Amino acid sequence: MKLSTEQFNALEQALNGVKHQVKQQLGDADARYIRRVFLVQRLSALSGRVLMVLGFITPWLWLLGVLLLALAKILDNMEIGHNVLHGQYDWMNDPVLHSKRFEWDIACDAGSWQRTHNFEHHTYTNIIGKDRDFGYGLLRLSNDFRWRLRNLWQGGTYLVLSMLFQWGVSYHELAAQRVFAGNKKADRHSQVTDSQLKKAFFGKGARQLLKDYLFFPLIAGPMWLWVLTGNLLANLIRNLWTSTVIFCGHFTKEVQVFSAAECEGESRGQWYYRQMLGSSNFTGPTWLHILTGHLSCQIEHHLFPDIPARHYPAMAKQVQAIAEEFAIPYNSGSFIRQYSTVFWRILRYSLPGGKTALKLTS
Amino acid sequence: MLANQPSLTLYLLPLLQRLWPGFLPGLYRASLLSQQWQTPDMLLLTLKVSGRWPGFVPGQHIVLTLKHNGRYLSRPFSICSSLKRWQSQRQIQLCCKINSIGEFTPLLAQLPDNSLLNISQAQGDFYWQQPALPAVFIAAGSGITPIAAMLLSQRHWLAPVSLYYRVRGQENAALLSELEQLAARQPLFSLQLSDSCTTPSATLQQQVIANAASKQFFLCGPAAFMAQIRAALVSSGVDAASIQQEQFGLAMPALPTVTSDSPTLTGHFIRAGISKAVTLNPQQSLLQNAEQHQLSPQFGCRIGVCFQCVCDKVSGQVRDIRTGSLSGHGVEQIQLCVSQPVTELVIKL
Repeated sequence: MKLSTEQFNALEQALNGVKHQVKQQLGDADARYIRRVFLVQRLSALSGRVLMVLGFITPWLWLLGVLLLALAKILDNMEIGHNVLHGQYDWMNDPVLHSKRFEWDIACDAGSWQRTHNFEHHTYTNIIGKDRDFGYGLLRLSNDFRWRLRNLWQGGTYLVLSMLFQWGVSYHELAAQRVFAGNKKADRHSQVTDSQLKKAFFGKGARQLLKDYLFFPLIAGPMWLWVLTGNLLANLIRNLWTSTVIFCGHFTKEVQVFSAAECEGESRGQWYYRQMLGSSNFTGPTWLHILTGHLSCQIEHHLFPDIPARHYPAMAKQVQAIAEEFAIPYNSGSFIRQYSTVFWRILRYSLPGGKTALKLTS
Repeated sequence: MLANQPSLTLYLLPLLQRLWPGFLPGLYRASLLSQQWQTPDMLLLTLKVSGRWPGFVPGQHIVLTLKHNGRYLSRPFSICSSLKRWQSQRQIQLCCKINSIGEFTPLLAQLPDNSLLNISQAQGDFYWQQPALPAVFIAAGSGITPIAAMLLSQRHWLAPVSLYYRVRGQENAALLSELEQLAARQPLFSLQLSDSCTTPSATLQQQVIANAASKQFFLCGPAAFMAQIRAALVSSGVDAASIQQEQFGLAMPALPTVTSDSPTLTGHFIRAGISKAVTLNPQQSLLQNAEQHQLSPQFGCRIGVCFQCVCDKVSGQVRDIRTGSLSGHGVEQIQLCVSQPVTELVIKL
């Protein structure tokens, strides 16, 4: 399974080629696509909020409103927000769809997300101790973590994290920097101060709470409770969906983890290799890909994070062929299959023992 | 705030753009009525502008934005038509020099009629403040555009005005027929064409200096041309305060101390949370440097006018290309398009 230096270089060449080919053709079709998704997102958000109030005619309208708002939040967070914040559409020079300007409908501040996700997670994917997304400091997902008593009930911890996922994500950077609790880690450097982190966390969080649980219920008048409950449900649906998609991308059974020492001074080819082993895809129809923000093609996303995501399914065919050529495992399966192995991993490592990080070199 | 965007307009942008195609916040819509070649490389665009556009002072410029292959691109152009044309017909004209190897201007020549474009508010402080005083206008090449707007807009002529229009061959004189018509019907206005193929620039300078006493001067043309004329005027005793000028494009001054063995500079660009170290070319703007490394920075006019490329500089020193002045070393906002690297830099795109 290990590759030689020449093979790593050849892998780099091959994957760069796939990327270059798509980069050449970026243009009108991509701009039209993302603007159309953006329009659908705004329409479902607005109509969802209106329909919830119309629930006094029949509760079915309220239910439709909840589903539309949940859809709006999912599109905003996944196909638009996540991808725009990666800079996938910066070339458009758009006043809104730009990594510098976009802010999304989620508790996490966009700047904090770019530091923890775009930088930390995408650079150090699945490296124990460096990629805090691997288990989010809450779950034991490989034998590289010492078993503790609390891991026994981490199945329950996982469910709670999933339900409150947006808050987990927004608190992620503050937890890493030990802003409120714990001892500062000497090896952690940050572009921002603790007070900036707190300001972004409370500012953005408060805005989201005010919007969904105070402003919109208030203007709904007598329907306030329906709107408040509906907003809560829509947020819950979005939280469960985003968490599920993300867990399927990195915590399936066959996904590999790495140790920090192994990855020091790695070449681009080795980085590509690690991204392929550390991510997993799931298959499905186009609408499913869109709802996941094309994170159903997590492998391609990790190889090419700044390529507009609608190209991932086509790129996946080429990447899979390259993986086959270099005998690199390509982790893909149906959504149900991948998600059940995520559950397996969470439950397996709630008990002591298990596999440890992959050795990349002998 | 509720919409997670700086304004509700930005939140509703996809809907507003569906209702009003071409809508862009902060800009005004304009549709292209016609294109007409004035010279082999100067294209006259006639635009019908939105009724909301607040108007202009002749001599000012606008930033023109168009969408090409999914990207918004912008460049500044001086308005060359008269105020009356806008007041009576809501039309403005731009006379654009088409640079066949450029990124933007060749697109103008390919625009279909009735294309929707966007224009900014009129900006700039190059205008004719005291038309009651005798004035001399000196234009070279495409520098005629703001000056033509000033002259063609003038209704009440009170003092003698002369225009020296320097071109490379008469076939390259844009807007010439309109200016000739003006000269024919307005006795206080005289037009003198100066052909650089036949007349040396020293002759033009002598003509200008010969009757320079107590006049206002307006210069527009290439930077080197204006510097020459200005120097000649000042040395002949003209008060520098009575000379106004407008510069086109961005002249990149050669750096005083760059040699082949000067140290290479490294820049760290932080984009979307990821830092990328690149080798900087100190002869180029930071915008060009960032673009060459596929960093897709935000940009607009590219000559320091529109402030779309403003970024946070975290550390390091830059030089303002227009003035040569040096920045501090600490945290501050800079315009990428008019900043050259001087030291190692850390910049948040």
